[in-house]
Amino acid sequence: MCKGLGLKSKDKKSYRVMFCIIFLCYLPSASAHHVLGRPAYSLNEESNTPPSKQVETQVGKYAITYMAFPAFPKANETGRVNLYASRIDNGHVFRGKVTFKVRDDSWFASNEETLGVQQIDDGVYRQGFVFKATGDYIITAEFESDGEPYIIDFPLRIGKPFPIGPLGLSVAAISLILIVVNIIQRRRMQRLQAQRHHAKPQDSQ
Amino acid sequence: MNKLAGVDWSHLVCKSPGFMVHPGMPPGWVVFILLSLFVIIVAAWRNSLLSVQQGPAGRYFAFPAPISKWLTRRVISPWLLVVLRLITASIFLLVIVAGLFGNPIPERNLATELTWTLWWTGLIIAIIFSGSAWCAICPWDAIATWLVRRRLWQRSPETASLNMRVPKILRSVWPALLMFIGLTWLELGFGVTRSPYATAVLALVIVVLTTVSLAMYERKAFCRYFCSVGRTIGFYSELSPVALRPVDSQVCADCKTLECYHGSENIEPCPTHLVMGRITQNTYCTSCGACSQSCPSQNINWQWRHVGSEAIQTARPHWDEGWFILGLVALTSFHGITMLPIWEKWIRHFAEQINDSGQLLWSFSVGMGVILLFPILIFMLLVKINQRLNFRELEFKRLFSSLAIATLPLAFTYHIAHNLTHLFRESRGMLSVFANPLGIGRLPLSSAEMHLRHVQPLIPQNLIYALQAGLIVFGFWLATRILAFRLQGLVERTQRPRFAIQWPILVFITLMSLLNLWLLMQPMMMRMK
Repeated sequence: MCKGLGLKSKDKKSYRVMFCIIFLCYLPSASAHHVLGRPAYSLNEESNTPPSKQVETQVGKYAITYMAFPAFPKANETGRVNLYASRIDNGHVFRGKVTFKVRDDSWFASNEETLGVQQIDDGVYRQGFVFKATGDYIITAEFESDGEPYIIDFPLRIGKPFPIGPLGLSVAAISLILIVVNIIQRRRMQRLQAQRHHAKPQDSQ
Repeated sequence: MNKLAGVDWSHLVCKSPGFMVHPGMPPGWVVFILLSLFVIIVAAWRNSLLSVQQGPAGRYFAFPAPISKWLTRRVISPWLLVVLRLITASIFLLVIVAGLFGNPIPERNLATELTWTLWWTGLIIAIIFSGSAWCAICPWDAIATWLVRRRLWQRSPETASLNMRVPKILRSVWPALLMFIGLTWLELGFGVTRSPYATAVLALVIVVLTTVSLAMYERKAFCRYFCSVGRTIGFYSELSPVALRPVDSQVCADCKTLECYHGSENIEPCPTHLVMGRITQNTYCTSCGACSQSCPSQNINWQWRHVGSEAIQTARPHWDEGWFILGLVALTSFHGITMLPIWEKWIRHFAEQINDSGQLLWSFSVGMGVILLFPILIFMLLVKINQRLNFRELEFKRLFSSLAIATLPLAFTYHIAHNLTHLFRESRGMLSVFANPLGIGRLPLSSAEMHLRHVQPLIPQNLIYALQAGLIVFGFWLATRILAFRLQGLVERTQRPRFAIQWPILVFITLMSLLNLWLLMQPMMMRMK
């Protein structure tokens, strides 16, 4: 086509560059911008890190969304949970008080502490926390609507999780016992063989 | 509803809380049960029960010839058992995967639904029809056996395990009783039934314990001494109409080689040290069929007998076994109590008194201890009274063990009656769980689903009540019958009238039956809340 217009190769290059510039200028701006290299849709108010956990659930008449910040909460570092509660039927945000409690999510742990009672702030219930020890915890959010109590439990991990799960532990325990039994039995057999070996010459005498 | 013949008994029924509960037994059935119990007590008073002649001890009947032939072929061939074990072990592994990696909602996960709603409830009901057959296909034992002995079914070399003898202190059913109490604590107190993950962890722990026991001790020590499920099945199966027994007792009497006990070249010996020719109670039989396969005369087969005949005549429980039976009586009633709406109220009130918080495990543990000990202490007191009044020369332990077996039908029948509610009212939706075992993408039960399960049990509601009523009456009747036969042998030792030696334990049997009836009258909390 360019040949037909009688353009030189130098002009062709400059036209191509101009076309690209104009094309780029007309492109709509990107809907997702990035902060610190992370896409904006994984972030939330005032936070520059994505949540470590985001849970969406349906309880009674409400759709609940729960987020925990920062991405990897650690002991002795501040963190926060955000709770969004809106009615399933009309989407109206719940406006009231939400009590946040925490308990140890381990066997035989029974102590429960109240983290705080929060009012709604810009459509969100925010509750800060600082944990002294690593471990698994359960955050409980409680509120009352239309005379009915709502209690929602969410798990929260502080610090790195234990590297081996119950399946790994079981396999390790079973392997260990089988190996130990095998070694003991081999030694027994060797001892028995040695005893027989020593006993034979005496018998022949 | 609660007014019958002008009597208002609404105060006998706990008020239902706001959440879903199963309805309690209606008054009509309660009146039927009370009248039946009254008739049985009057019959006992008139000594008509004691006049029943004892039949020949340990009488068994062969199934009709075609069934018997079919059974013989299946029992002496190991392959049916191997296939069934492979199936149960595969399902068990799926339960573990679902529990560890699946949806945490208990009603949507195979681990909790299959384990607690179908298996644990259906297992007790199945004992009526199959005795202790579950133990033969138990996945815990199957997996442990394959790992340690590295054989699908054949006899393994002696070197596969350390073959140590179980320490003397553990050679009883005390460890199994403690395990059962622990399991109940985990189930009802810790709430393992509400957590697929905890259910899977519990299953794994038991596999590890079974494997360790098999690798260390001779034969199958876990099955014999430690397994609470196996021992519960064992005791209940004493009342079952079917069992593995010698076809011709004379063949066993003449046997000098005892392959059932020692095993044969290819077949394992009896895992629980039983000699089939001398077996008097089913407590430790795991129905594994090794005796059938090793017997050179093919003399061991499934046979039927009168319901409860073993408990009436041949069973000779020891002191620890007597405690296990009473433990079953107390634990089954405790199960019912914890599902009453009022139980939570009691525990919360008690927790306030002792300043307990969180899951209220301390309060639960104390409540559980008190409720378990209460019926056992009452039984001991009544046995002591009976001993003082009638059997001064008899040792307390012997009298206690001998009479404890009379309470076994109470535990068994109430256990089944209670489980019927769970099985028929809570297992709706099981097919959807099998279709999606991990519950991927499933949401919690909606109010409509819960309501549907609540109002539409798998069988008609009145049939559930009829079965429960029949079970309570049958349990009471069988208990009085066992008591009468047990005391018959002791009548000659004392000059006292028959009813005088019978009444203390009859009081206990009546009290426990009334307690179990009251529990069935109450609205019962659904597992799904």
